Amino acid sequence: MVQPEDLYEPEWVAWFKLTPLQRMAESAKLWDFYLQMGGQLDPDPDPQSPFFFPEDIRPGPPNGRPGLRILRRGGV
Amino acid sequence: MGGQACVFYGAAEFSRDTDFSILSDQQNLQSLREALADLQAVNIALPPFEPHFLLRGHAIHFRCQRADVRDMRIDVMAKMRGVDDFAALWERRTTVNDGSLQFEVMSLPDLVNAKKTQRDKDWPMIRRLVDTDYLSQRSDATARQIQFWFRELRSPLLLVELAARATPDAATLNSRRSTLLAAVAGDLAQVEAELQKEESAERAADRLYWEPLRAELQELRRQRLSSRGPET
Repeated sequence: MVQPEDLYEPEWVAWFKLTPLQRMAESAKLWDFYLQMGGQLDPDPDPQSPFFFPEDIRPGPPNGRPGLRILRRGGV
Repeated sequence: MGGQACVFYGAAEFSRDTDFSILSDQQNLQSLREALADLQAVNIALPPFEPHFLLRGHAIHFRCQRADVRDMRIDVMAKMRGVDDFAALWERRTTVNDGSLQFEVMSLPDLVNAKKTQRDKDWPMIRRLVDTDYLSQRSDATARQIQFWFRELRSPLLLVELAARATPDAATLNSRRSTLLAAVAGDLAQVEAELQKEESAERAADRLYWEPLRAELQELRRQRLSSRGPET
């Protein structure tokens, strides 16, 4: 039989093995952390979404926090 | 029906909005208006919150302003491509109680259908959703689950494994003939190629479905801009 480890990284396998309610609880923790770090709730623009219109995009503050500035961008 | 449902069923999506599939009848829309008022949610972007837009398949977008949920985004839809009507979705829903709250989640097969969109990110999500279900349930599966996996599995190894253990019924075989015949033959490369073809066809169908709706949105945007007049 194919094992989950044959298809997925260990982090994914661990996630799959949680119960649905455990997954929701873990997701809620991640949310709390995200919000504590000043994460914004507006979804990122998704150019593949049928609701996306490029002319609606306005540059927002990095990470949703007005006090943050990008000092340097790494190359790809 | 969106990111939270994906988390529940085993995929993971860090979605920053909350998506609801709703019944668009007068009584329910009134209940929805009351709930949105309680959250101090305002309609953002287009279209406006009017039932005929929901019935045509548009999503209506809101942003909450109440202090404890400030800026939370809510999207509601009443009709989705390839997804049954609300009555059928409601009949098949999963009811979840986490000890303090009870909420209703779209069934896994319906969620998978809702995720067959033109967006890249939805396709690995579908694969993980169905893989999780298969891997956790395969040792004690019902006939209905087996047919669901035959219809929806997107990992070649698992589809070939399933085909070695069970047989698709005629309707399922017809819905996915090329892919399932390749799986029965154990031809992983061919299964992969057929899965790519399936995905391309669904994405093209989704773009086609949205063309007239996007044209409507563009017209609404044009009307809104012209009603504002020239900017000074």
